[in-house]
Amino acid sequence: MAPAEKKVIISIQQVSKSYQQGKVKVNAVNDLSLDIEEGEFTALCGPSGSGKTTLLNMIGGLDLPTEGVIKLELQELAQLSRMALSHLRRDRIGFVFQAYNLIPVMTAYENAEFVLALQGMPKAQRRERVMSILKQVGLQGLESRRPDEMSGGQQQRVAIARAIVTHPAVVLADEPTANVDSENAEALLDLMEELNQREGITFIFSTHDPRVMKRARRLVYLRDGQLDPAA
Amino acid sequence: MNIVLLAPRNLLRSWHRSLVTTLAMGFAGVIMIVFASLMDGMLQASERNATMMNTGELQLHAKTYLDDPDLYAVMHDEKALLEKLSTVGVSASPRLFAFALAAAGSSSAGVQLRGITPSREAQVTEIHKHLMLGLWLDEVDTEGVVLGRKLARSLNIKVGEEVILLGQASDGSMANEIFRVRGILKAVADDIDRAGFFMLSSSFRKLMVVNEGVHEIAMKRLNQSDTLETKQQQVQDIAGPYEVKDWRSLMPVIARILELADAQTIFMLLITYVAVGMVILNAMLMSVFERIREFGIMKALGVNPWQIVQLVFAEAILQAVVASLFALAMGAWLALLLQERGIDFSHMVSATSFAGIALEPVWYAQVSFRSLALPIVFLFFMTLLAVIYPAIKAALIKPVDAIHHF
Repeated sequence: MAPAEKKVIISIQQVSKSYQQGKVKVNAVNDLSLDIEEGEFTALCGPSGSGKTTLLNMIGGLDLPTEGVIKLELQELAQLSRMALSHLRRDRIGFVFQAYNLIPVMTAYENAEFVLALQGMPKAQRRERVMSILKQVGLQGLESRRPDEMSGGQQQRVAIARAIVTHPAVVLADEPTANVDSENAEALLDLMEELNQREGITFIFSTHDPRVMKRARRLVYLRDGQLDPAA
Repeated sequence: MNIVLLAPRNLLRSWHRSLVTTLAMGFAGVIMIVFASLMDGMLQASERNATMMNTGELQLHAKTYLDDPDLYAVMHDEKALLEKLSTVGVSASPRLFAFALAAAGSSSAGVQLRGITPSREAQVTEIHKHLMLGLWLDEVDTEGVVLGRKLARSLNIKVGEEVILLGQASDGSMANEIFRVRGILKAVADDIDRAGFFMLSSSFRKLMVVNEGVHEIAMKRLNQSDTLETKQQQVQDIAGPYEVKDWRSLMPVIARILELADAQTIFMLLITYVAVGMVILNAMLMSVFERIREFGIMKALGVNPWQIVQLVFAEAILQAVVASLFALAMGAWLALLLQERGIDFSHMVSATSFAGIALEPVWYAQVSFRSLALPIVFLFFMTLLAVIYPAIKAALIKPVDAIHHF
């Protein structure tokens, strides 16, 4: 029996992004085309300034391309209103940031629950979902701790819990292991790999960490804002 | 987004700044409640003093009298009129007026004779308490008169001395009589100070041969909670052809001065709260700039700009609520204290009058719903106004810029 054909979840067509930095125009991404299929565990690799984070931001609807088209689940992001883009990020995308970026006045539980509350999910259902996710990421018992009462690794687990709790179409992780020690980095990668395999969530990393690259099932190399065919 | 949960936590996170901002708002509220109460007290006292010295709250005249104060322009059958007036809840004092020449020693001056009934006048005005020297009129002392202070000085006359009156009576005969000065008034109003010659109405009638009718009936509401407009209408309904006017129409300049003072209160409130608004604006801007990254994260996670606006407003409103409670508690306590004890300026100034208003040396506050509510309404208004810019600033933050903001 032929394997089921996976659908393209993210389509990037001839995308360019340029910034004006003072009097200098910087081309962060330059005529780049790429498709990401459902369930991929992909790493965008490359040196600093290669355009990884810019590309990730555009995929997440945080930034819009200067030229070209980015589609997420067939929706062209540049065509969406500010409100529709907010809803898309809330419902279909999970973010994991390099610096964790948890909301400091909220506990681990409240941070993980945050997006579900934005979606308007009933409280009882939210509680069930959040407790289950926190258990999955190994934070059972730490629900009431605030970010400043947790280690970097624990904070990043909360960030992962917050990213996956809504069952998003894709999780975008920007250098997720950059601020954690080796042991925690491996544990986080184990966790994300497990979630990818068990839940089928698409993960896209931007990284230059060899440990992440080793785990990724697809590596996309970037150099000067373009795909690097030589890598 | 649970704003009720987030707003207080965000405020407590920078509790030093929140406390300073809230206290600044609260103290401004206290100052404004006390100021508004003192201004209300001053306005009420001024209004009371303006009417109680001479004018009364309402006056009744024959239609042409105010334009042409003729000795013959009287309101007839005053007894029946006074009886009717007593049924609509006003105290009434009938008055008679005429012009004459007064002489004492080698001095003489033109005077306005004012014939009154002391017992009735005391129910409408408090001029009997406003003596500089001597005593007020007495029903049994038919020769006794009370003079304005400048008139007494012009005539160079003292209490107990004789004064001769010369005029033309209503029947065309010569009005000529000797009276004795019982008392000299403090400053009241310029016309009374220069020409006021108070005497019993019985003496006036005899001197000027005015057997019946009165020129003026001054009135005061028995129940001060009745509106002046209602009372004026009730009096007009029973006054037939005569004309009733309130003190504002009779003393338009003073009425305008008091209206202006009222407007000044609002203006002062506004100025103070603009200053407070700047404090709030500064604090909220600092709070927003400190959390640019956090707002960016929230927006990246799907919080929409309107929810960010709501959060920033909720934080400001929470501070305004705490500040208002503090302001109400402290402000009301202070204002009530000043309502009871007043601020005594008697060691600096003595009682005087200005433009027909007696000015008392003790300044009392008047606590009312208005004096408590107006500053609080202003506080909320300025808070909401001051927070618009920081809220919009936070709402329009681009997540991609904010996330990388340190």
